[in-house]
Amino acid sequence: MFKYTIKRLLQSLVTVLIVGTIVFLLMRMLPTDYFFTEDQLMKLTEEQKNEQLLAAGLLDPIPEQLLHFYGQIVRFDFGKSRRIQSGVDVIKVIGSKFTVSMRLGVISLVISLITGVILGIIQTLNKDRLLDHVGTAYTIFVNAVPSLVSYSLVLVFGSRVLGLPSMYSTRNPSQSSILPIVCLALASIASYALWTRRYMVDELNKDYIRLARVKGLSSREIMTRHVFKNAFVPLVQYIPASFLYTIGGSLLVERFFSVPGMGPLLTDSIQRYDTNVVQTLTIIYAALGILGVFLGDVLMMIVDPRIKLTGKEGTR
Amino acid sequence: MEKKNKEDLFRFVEYSPEAAERVGYSDYSYWKSVFQNFLKKKSAVVMAFIFFGLVIFSFIALAIGKYDYATLVHQQDAALAFTSPNSEFWFGTDNLGRDYWCQVWYAAQTSIKLALIVALGECVVGVTIGCIWGYVRQLDRFLTELYNIINNVPMIIYMTLIALLLGHSFFIMAVALIAFGWLTMARNVRNLVLMYRDREYNLASRCLGTPIWRVLVKNILPYLISIIILRLALSIPSTIALESTLSYLGLGLGIDEPSLGILLRNARNYFLDYPYLLVFPAVIVSLITITFYLVGNAFSDAADPRNHV
Repeated sequence: MFKYTIKRLLQSLVTVLIVGTIVFLLMRMLPTDYFFTEDQLMKLTEEQKNEQLLAAGLLDPIPEQLLHFYGQIVRFDFGKSRRIQSGVDVIKVIGSKFTVSMRLGVISLVISLITGVILGIIQTLNKDRLLDHVGTAYTIFVNAVPSLVSYSLVLVFGSRVLGLPSMYSTRNPSQSSILPIVCLALASIASYALWTRRYMVDELNKDYIRLARVKGLSSREIMTRHVFKNAFVPLVQYIPASFLYTIGGSLLVERFFSVPGMGPLLTDSIQRYDTNVVQTLTIIYAALGILGVFLGDVLMMIVDPRIKLTGKEGTR
Repeated sequence: MEKKNKEDLFRFVEYSPEAAERVGYSDYSYWKSVFQNFLKKKSAVVMAFIFFGLVIFSFIALAIGKYDYATLVHQQDAALAFTSPNSEFWFGTDNLGRDYWCQVWYAAQTSIKLALIVALGECVVGVTIGCIWGYVRQLDRFLTELYNIINNVPMIIYMTLIALLLGHSFFIMAVALIAFGWLTMARNVRNLVLMYRDREYNLASRCLGTPIWRVLVKNILPYLISIIILRLALSIPSTIALESTLSYLGLGLGIDEPSLGILLRNARNYFLDYPYLLVFPAVIVSLITITFYLVGNAFSDAADPRNHV
């Protein structure tokens, strides 16, 4: 197990490095004009522009820049932001946004996990009856309707009917984050409900459940002690991944409600040629993604001792 | 009595050359039973009618509308801004006083067009690469790594860079979405090809010298039809959603090509006060995506040979 973990972590490190390199190279494909504001583009002469680029180290040959970048990663020094917040450490820039995204993400995840699983259980208990169909309709709605449309509907309903603030504001964070949290939770409630229902129905059709019935266990006992426990195992696998994913912040939700979170930072920093911020962000995202999958596997192994990772030939 | 019965049951027949040539044959045809199965589901058929009705109507709607999209740009009239739906402007007007009816239907058409093109492109590229990926062992490692690398970089980075480097247009958008959309399809196809490639009958085919493409197309692909259709069906709503998201963020289609995302982006600041700006596009697009989603699911069930009699 230990050996496996080490091997897998090393593999992940390589992947993160490759991803970082790709993004690094992609960023260098952009014309350097994006480095300046429109104002600066008009006023500065070519020489002044070159001077600034040189000072930022952006005119060095690409391999040299790349080596410099690797050096930074090794030292965990991600450099300074140049355009988003000039001269501030990237870690600080991201950190302040990270807390906002994380707060929303964690709350919405807890809500969606609880409601989603409960909805799934209710659907299973009422299989092929009204409540089940209502739940299925909800899942279909969330999956099929573009999220932009459903967010807009939430926004209109929330602010016109319930009188909640339609934009996020730092002055009143608790009230104004209700709608973004609802939007974030919308999709994950549906997916948790869907999978809970599916796994539970699968489990219900197995022979050992029939045996339990024959033995005379009550439905309640069968549900809580057999079906739910077993159905929860495959579900557990996705929790860390979705947790880390929500922390990363959802770009659309944060843009839609003007939440000052991590989501919009990525596009903003690309559009402003803030290479250090972009690179750090991608490394964080890639690491979060890989870590999520890994933690999911570990968690699943803890919940279900029959599962062993070492035997499985991972594709990652 | 008993003896007579036995004699009745077993009689010698005369040799007939026709009967000797006859092979076991049933009237089974794959696509026929797919459609038969599909038509059995009344709700899905109704949904299909609604979907095609909407698509056809989007053309009619543009034709019968009182304003043409091409002339709309010059038609800004601040005095007419935010006119509620009436007999002149069937869906009202937007913040610049432009007719909303033709914008909404034009946007619906753009979304459908883009989604269909992207879904088909994804399907062709994804199935081709997926088949190669699953069948050619030597390439498996390489393609898996490629998949991981592309998949691990957040897609929004690619889309932002593409928008900055190449600009906004329908063509660029379609190509970019296909370029990153084939991954899921290829992965699904690859997993299935891996499952079927070493079955005994394929081994036999290979031993008999059947060319690889024939093994793939004749022996393996039929198993994949159901899953391919399912992915196609899911990919159309998700492409429409992705397009609207990207356009909303300013990374998708240009302003002059109204799509769902652009419409909602323009309306974002107004639809709290003028809900019709949201309701019309939302209802139409939701109808399109939901019906297609359900039809696709039903069709994929019908296409699964295991559900055939």
